[in-house]
Amino acid sequence: MTDDRTRALATALVVGALVLCSTVALASPLVDARPAHEIPVTERPDADLSDPTADGWSSVPASDVALASAPSGVPNADDTSIERVHVQAVRSGGQFYVRLQWADPTHNVSAESPRQFVDAAAVQFPVDTSSRPPIAMGGRDNRVNVWYWAGNGGTQELLAGGAGSTTAFPSPSVAANATYADGTWTVVYTRDIESGSESANRTDLGSTDTLDVAFAVWNGGNGERAGRKAVSEWHYFLTGTGPQGPPYQTLLWTVAGVAIVGVVAVTAFGVLRARSGGGGSGGSEGGAS
Amino acid sequence: MSTNEDTNINVAEGIDHQVAMVMDLNKCIGCQTCTIACKSLWTEGGGTEYMYWNNVETKPGEGYPRGWEESGGGWQGEQGEAHTDRQPGDIPSREDYGRPWEFNHSEIMYEGSDEPLRPRDGAEWGPNWDEDQGAGEYPNSYYFYLPRICNHCTHPSCVEACPRQALYKREEDGIVLVDQERCRGYRYCVEGCPYKKVYYNTVSKKSEKCIFCYPRLEGEGPDGQAYAPACAEECPPQLRLVGFLDDEDGPIYKLVEEYEVALPLHPEFRTQPNVYYIPPYAPGQHTEDGESVDVDRIPREYLRELFGDGVDEALNTIERERQRARQGSDSELMELLQHKNPAKQYRLGVFNDDD
Repeated sequence: MTDDRTRALATALVVGALVLCSTVALASPLVDARPAHEIPVTERPDADLSDPTADGWSSVPASDVALASAPSGVPNADDTSIERVHVQAVRSGGQFYVRLQWADPTHNVSAESPRQFVDAAAVQFPVDTSSRPPIAMGGRDNRVNVWYWAGNGGTQELLAGGAGSTTAFPSPSVAANATYADGTWTVVYTRDIESGSESANRTDLGSTDTLDVAFAVWNGGNGERAGRKAVSEWHYFLTGTGPQGPPYQTLLWTVAGVAIVGVVAVTAFGVLRARSGGGGSGGSEGGAS
Repeated sequence: MSTNEDTNINVAEGIDHQVAMVMDLNKCIGCQTCTIACKSLWTEGGGTEYMYWNNVETKPGEGYPRGWEESGGGWQGEQGEAHTDRQPGDIPSREDYGRPWEFNHSEIMYEGSDEPLRPRDGAEWGPNWDEDQGAGEYPNSYYFYLPRICNHCTHPSCVEACPRQALYKREEDGIVLVDQERCRGYRYCVEGCPYKKVYYNTVSKKSEKCIFCYPRLEGEGPDGQAYAPACAEECPPQLRLVGFLDDEDGPIYKLVEEYEVALPLHPEFRTQPNVYYIPPYAPGQHTEDGESVDVDRIPREYLRELFGDGVDEALNTIERERQRARQGSDSELMELLQHKNPAKQYRLGVFNDDD
């Protein structure tokens, strides 16, 4: 083995490594290039994520969901203040966890005075997951199931079939925990994946891999309540995704990476062989002379 | 839907009959018995402490809640136009309603202090803070009392303001109620009422209001008898008439529709109140020497602000009828205004046989 051959092999390996690194580096941003309204649901083995500050949340991918004032007939409906909410979702141990995070500089948790309104957030699902209801509180024949959390401690499970029809379940199946720190609310909703009793009016979270979902946030300090709220468009929770993105993407990029490395290596070896062939004869010639 | 096609009474769409009340402001002595009768019946519970479904305020004055006349609500447009666009309104602050005061009871009762009994610091406003203050200069200062309840309006902007239809007008008598099951405490009704007669319960987190004592009207009490609202029955000078606007044989119809001497408060809010007022009729002004002069003590312009342009004709009619009575002639109007017979003053069961 000559020095030339060793050098060429090392070069090929370095080039191959660089190519592999760059493909891996390229693959990560591509996870975020998922469809705009898709929110991945991460599968986790038995993890309790009902605490908004649970460690497990740090490795769950977050989607940035844009909010805008809901169309509504209530006064000042256009005057809302929250523009985005970060959404994370996890299925674990038969539980469905949804974590919302948004910036709100005012911490409004009391409605004990006529002018006080509380911060609040809601997650909306179709009751019947096979079709997408009207975004504004669903429709008469196409109702929505809403998880409503309010800053004064109340969590309600609601059923609605159009604006103004919101009705609370007598016993909610959803729980919510919230923290407020550094001007940011973090709320985690927890519900059994199975809809259980009263299932006729409750969304079966396990019935589909693409579960329609929408979000709303109220800033109580801005007088936001009822239809005066910042809302998202319909999004969908995609089950079967992990932090690395959909499996087929990883697979494709791994295959592509290996192929590129292979091609580079074969090319390098080819060049090397051609060169060392000439150099070798020269050497032998030199050796003969 | 309305069953009184045979009358000219403009009751609300879908309403069979309309309860109404006439208050004669010339009889109000500002004793607040109505206020306490109401409060002890309906608003003693947690979260209702600051509410006075019935209040009596001094006019001219800020009223309760403070500045309610400038707080918005009601309908845009001119009289006679359709009720399509609501006027934006504000929710009064806790201070505008008035906070309960702390008194120095313990110092005086237990610590031997000889200070006068008085509120501790922080008493800067409350219902009737400006009681009897009024306006004008001696010897021509003036004021009068204005008792107020929910007007159970024919075009209630509170009902329209609610995005959940939690407020509604009862079909049988037009009483405006808040369905406590439907209310979610949004308070659009509070800001939407130009009279600020819907209140937010700070404990139940729902809105509440005067219910025109409907359980009393329905005879839900222990003796099964129908009674007028407590504010009316308990009034020492008995200044309130209670009945139905569309009861053409009743005094309210005559005072409102025939003689036109009972007027709604702030008709420009366009909610068409069903509580009516006989405007105050004050003696004329005095000179420094105590001579009476023919100048209105209560500026007529101020009364027009409160009761609309109809106040001139109303006061003229009262004056004319008063002269007739003085001269020994019969005056049905003066009789009506002096009812001492509860059977005529409170006509509650006139439509009971309708169904």
